[in-house]
Amino acid sequence: MSIYLPIAEISVNIFILFGMGAAVGFLSGMFGVGGGFLMTPLLIFYNIPPAVAVATEANQIVASSFSGALAHLRKGTVDVKLGILLLAGGLVGSTVGVYIFSILRSQGQLDLIISILYVVFLGSIGSLMTIESLRAIQKAKAGNAPMGRKPGQHNWIHGLPFKVRLRKSKLYLSAIPVVVLGALVGLLAAIMGVGGGFIMVPAMIYLLRVPTNIVIGTSLFQIIFVTAYTTIIQSTANQTVDVVLAVILMVGGVIGAQFGAAAGHKLKGEQLRALLGLLVLAICLRLAYDLVITPDDLFSVLGASDVGGH
Amino acid sequence: MRVSVLLFFTISIIVGSINIVLAEGESIEMGVSVDTVPVASDFDGTNIVVFGSIEGIDDIAAKLGHYQVVVTVTGAPEDTIVRKKDRIFGIWVNRDHRKYTRIPSFYATASRIKLGKIAIPEVLREAGIGIENLNINLLAEGNIETILPTPQFTDALRRIRTENGLFSEAPKNLKQLSPSLFRATVFLPPNVPIGTHEVRAFLFKSGELRADSKSSFRIQKVGFERWMYNIAHKHSFLYGIMCVLVAIFTGWAANAIFRKN
Repeated sequence: MSIYLPIAEISVNIFILFGMGAAVGFLSGMFGVGGGFLMTPLLIFYNIPPAVAVATEANQIVASSFSGALAHLRKGTVDVKLGILLLAGGLVGSTVGVYIFSILRSQGQLDLIISILYVVFLGSIGSLMTIESLRAIQKAKAGNAPMGRKPGQHNWIHGLPFKVRLRKSKLYLSAIPVVVLGALVGLLAAIMGVGGGFIMVPAMIYLLRVPTNIVIGTSLFQIIFVTAYTTIIQSTANQTVDVVLAVILMVGGVIGAQFGAAAGHKLKGEQLRALLGLLVLAICLRLAYDLVITPDDLFSVLGASDVGGH
Repeated sequence: MRVSVLLFFTISIIVGSINIVLAEGESIEMGVSVDTVPVASDFDGTNIVVFGSIEGIDDIAAKLGHYQVVVTVTGAPEDTIVRKKDRIFGIWVNRDHRKYTRIPSFYATASRIKLGKIAIPEVLREAGIGIENLNINLLAEGNIETILPTPQFTDALRRIRTENGLFSEAPKNLKQLSPSLFRATVFLPPNVPIGTHEVRAFLFKSGELRADSKSSFRIQKVGFERWMYNIAHKHSFLYGIMCVLVAIFTGWAANAIFRKN
């Protein structure tokens, strides 16, 4: 059954989109990730104009992160103060990101930059994840307990000024790296159509040394606001949020996530991470391949009324 | 003998003068089957029908098939960019481009036979009929390199628009119902641009343009799609807030439903 997307201005198959939402939702539920970095490339492969894919995906992430954050708020695993600091940076980053997005779009370079950013981020994170989880699997086989965080361990980040006390995270650290991290993730959210959890979570664990149980809830908490803000400014600046597309993906996504979460309980953590790492690398390679092979058509035409960048 | 010559001569004059009178009196009238083509959520292309009549024609010439009608549908003209990719450090990057002005967003022709058999290229070009003969004008940007004609860009424009179904020529989609009545069918593809489309009918006699007439119809989103599109473009800030609220509600609903399970 085809449905006409009012903003993307194309006819699409509703079941394929719903299936994509459910499949990515399943994976995000299974791996505990937002899924934006999987969904946006999929939408682009499905010929949704990249400008619409990115802006609409931000809107979908509002739904999935809100749903996830509610569960974490109930469990009390959200550091609201840390979340607000990250958010302060996030709003700035997102504003700059949407501005860059508009410029790239008018220059005809948006698709390229989106693809390159995806290749770089998916490539590095996919490799790190795969290597790290394979090592963990080897160690588990060898019978060694995985290494935890050593108390009292400090890095250069803890020497910066403007210190704040974060009771929930049991941290006393400078606001600067927190705000900068928030801004970086906000920037990516706007340009790449991701929540940024896949960067936020490792950065919070390894750089800020936030306790692992607080990390995901806090990350989700601030992603709600950054993606909500991104949705609003993308709508205002570029008119590229397609709410019909977003709703189809949201519904598919939240249903898939439930089944994914159930499936995730049956797999071991490091196996999950290895699988996710390989999946991320596969998408990265596919995008990289598209950048390098000679396109079918070297030319592209864009009229004033066209939405996308094809 | 003399009588017959005289008779032939007289008939020739009469026929000739009738021809002149008729030539000046030829006209073409037409009407589009719809004023407005609605685009709703299930829109996946549609046909419009153009009916028309040709008046004041020479019946003999009509019977001999000397008259041909071409119907064109032209979408709103707009500035259009054609970009060309080049390889930089192994990656394909949009590099060179040309900007064109007043390029129709949609163009379709319907005729009984191929345009090339109706008139010679010069005549078609003069009238701007056919994909090859559309006026493609560069938008002057002051830079000499971008003002020079570049056929590879204009060819790409025509080719890509044709591949997308936005430019088309249908040499079998016009039926001559009687010597004076015709019916043309024009397919509007799913990606047809929204807006006012101009319809023109051209009457050719033996390769010569004799008359033409104009009409138009609108393609517009209706119902929910229209409402949505208008809000997104005219009240984009409110639209953004609405999108966020929809997402918050969906997230909350999902959480509430699946928590009970």
